Amino acid sequence: MSAGGSGGGAAQAIPQNKLIAFGAAGGLIAIYLSYFMVQFAGPAFSFIGALGAICAIVWGAAAVRRVASYGLGTGVPSIGMLALGMGVVATMFGLAVGGIAGPIVAFVTAMVIGLVIGALANRIIGMGIPIMEQSMTEIAGAGTLAIVGLSTAMTGTFMFDVVLTEVISTGYIALIFIAGGIAILHPFNANLGPDEKQDRTLSTAFEKGAIAMIMAGIVSAVSAGASAAPTIVIGLAIWYVSFSQYNKYVVRDAYDVVGTGLLPKEEEESE
Amino acid sequence: MIDIAGVLAANFLYVILITLGGVLVSGSVHFVPVGGAPAAMAQATGIGTGTVQLAAGAGLTGLVTAGAMLNLTDSMALILAAGMVGAMIMIGVTMIIGNLVYVYGVGVPPASAKVDYDPITKDRQDIYVSQGTEGHGIPTVSFVSGIIGGGLGGIGGALVYYSLMSIANGMASADFVGLAAIFAVGIFFVNAVIPSYNIGGTIEGFHDPKFKKWPKAVVTSLIVTFMCAIVSVITIGGL
Amino acid sequence: MEPLIGMGVLALMGAAATIAGASEDLESDVGSQSNPNSQVQLAPQMMYPHRIFNKAISGEPPSNALMAAVGGASASVLMGAYSMSVVFAIAVGALIAAGIHGTYATTAYLGRSASQKRFRQPIYLDMVRSHVPVMMGFAYITTFCILVVSYLMTSVLGHPFPLTLLAFIWGITVGAIGSSTGDVHYGAEREFQNVEFGSGLNAANSGNIVRKAECGLRNGIDNSWFCAKFGGPATGLAFGMTVFLSGWITTIFDPSLGANIGWLSIVVGLAIILILILWNRRLEVFARNQYGPYKEDEEVTA
Repeated sequence: MSAGGSGGGAAQAIPQNKLIAFGAAGGLIAIYLSYFMVQFAGPAFSFIGALGAICAIVWGAAAVRRVASYGLGTGVPSIGMLALGMGVVATMFGLAVGGIAGPIVAFVTAMVIGLVIGALANRIIGMGIPIMEQSMTEIAGAGTLAIVGLSTAMTGTFMFDVVLTEVISTGYIALIFIAGGIAILHPFNANLGPDEKQDRTLSTAFEKGAIAMIMAGIVSAVSAGASAAPTIVIGLAIWYVSFSQYNKYVVRDAYDVVGTGLLPKEEEESE
Repeated sequence: MIDIAGVLAANFLYVILITLGGVLVSGSVHFVPVGGAPAAMAQATGIGTGTVQLAAGAGLTGLVTAGAMLNLTDSMALILAAGMVGAMIMIGVTMIIGNLVYVYGVGVPPASAKVDYDPITKDRQDIYVSQGTEGHGIPTVSFVSGIIGGGLGGIGGALVYYSLMSIANGMASADFVGLAAIFAVGIFFVNAVIPSYNIGGTIEGFHDPKFKKWPKAVVTSLIVTFMCAIVSVITIGGL
Repeated sequence: MEPLIGMGVLALMGAAATIAGASEDLESDVGSQSNPNSQVQLAPQMMYPHRIFNKAISGEPPSNALMAAVGGASASVLMGAYSMSVVFAIAVGALIAAGIHGTYATTAYLGRSASQKRFRQPIYLDMVRSHVPVMMGFAYITTFCILVVSYLMTSVLGHPFPLTLLAFIWGITVGAIGSSTGDVHYGAEREFQNVEFGSGLNAANSGNIVRKAECGLRNGIDNSWFCAKFGGPATGLAFGMTVFLSGWITTIFDPSLGANIGWLSIVVGLAIILILILWNRRLEVFARNQYGPYKEDEEVTA
């Protein structure tokens, strides 16, 4: 999985439908793959769950980028907190009642709640953002897959009895909540400005997703069903690749990158 | 498979209480005087931060105190009161220190730009608003409004947590506390964001004309929290 | 628990929280985080390119919650899986949190500056090298102190929430307090020292932030030097008071001894809030009398 490079080379915007497919399909497939690989081949494969979370995070960041460019009237962070609030409620429900279908139940539940919030935001509150319904649905779904993916990476399974004792009662769910949430909303927030570029924003999402993966790896040290070393090492590799890629985009997009220096000259004179 | 209808029937009271808690949180945000980014530059009346973040800070402080209280007593009223007081202390301290910074650090008197006279103290406001701003600092009416908002938010958060903790289930107690707490945090965040979209990020308190928009956010929260409540009651009751 | 031990623990928590609040605010001043950053973001657009760090990590409360939750999770893993001592585990947890915070700060500065190409805002690499370690240092102190508070609450005061969740909640709270109190000193005064003190900030001046320092061009570290004189300590006081007072009422009047004592703790809490309201009123009256109105009162009604 060349996670860090998949945004590379595309100067034009990647259509949102491709990102939805990447996030939803990639996320769910990776979560299930991780579950079955851990069952049949051993805990070393728990890291695949975090790869699914990265897919979902990139998708979520792209959705935040689309909706936040309309101006929400308050800070960009709010929508990420909303998404993760819905996501955590839906995840607990889905995993608790769904059994083997848990991730799908959680995903669908979150999207239903997201759709309702999006519709109410436009109909009752009157935000008047045309893509609100779609974006809230997407962000809630992405947030949920990020939570499920990171939980799977921490424990090697999404069976609720294990998740309950190893992730929820220990409080690590709070880490998942905030690491996943910020990874979704930081990319657009960090690249905010008139010359923001989609590929640069998404490369930040990969990088922040990799950090969430590394943290999931550290936490998985306490779990019998997941192994820490592969998750941390692969997470560091993805982080390195995506940060390098991000750095290239920054150098490409910036007005100038200098070691140090004074302010640009013309503006100084115009004072 | 879980007996969904049975769990819901047995705990329907808690579904109602959780929904009520969420609605209280949503309503409470309208009381909290937040000026957003302009207030941080002393260009608008209120606390210089975002609605969601401040409501979350206060409400979660209330959740911490309510959680501590629930460990010590069974009295529902006492738990709700603990949540209320915790959130009120957080928001009160934040506003008083914020005002200290406005008065001594920035050198502006607290003044509201939305009303000419403070409804509580009857003090003239408009001439104390500096040129080119929408007021600054936290005048008494906003301060009292903020305390009320913090209190309602604390009660709301504590009510959600208390209701979740009252559902009969077969979990170990540490698991149960963790699950109920994260549900409460999730429901709290959802209900803190909805009203902040309703008021467009800034409000001065209950004297602000925007305050009249509260039914919109409350209806939205009612629907959304009801869904979250059903989902969380089924989750906890089914274990 | 012995009331005296409870009081001692609470005092320690209050002290740690005060340090956490102060370092949190100074960290956000070095990096120019949260709402005042809107002016730093706006300045190049108004033809004022600058050398001030431009950090926006998804709002101050979430970014502090992230640090605290990362630190809390790492520390509890180290205590659980490797039986490490508490102090060492908290120190390592805070170190990991500071490192992660550094990556967030770096991407925020590079990304936001790069997105201002059309306003000719350059990226200064020495800013990254000089500011990010300072922020990481402050982030370390903040995280360490929040973990101390959270650990004392869970292990000594018997709070039922797990360590990571408590750290997360206190992280949100410290960020909310920092961005509401100390940041005002940075945003309303330090960024606009070029206008007369107490004149308010006319919206027409937006973006016209001070860009020159006592020596050379002003940067974030200069800003933290200024805010350390008032904004930072005030933030520390606010967070310390929040942690201390919210715990103090139930430590003095322990609700486990009976419902009446529990209600007494609520009454004391409400009394504290009343004192805050009265204090605020005194402060308001003082400011109005001291500074006077900005405009002549044309329509005398009173």
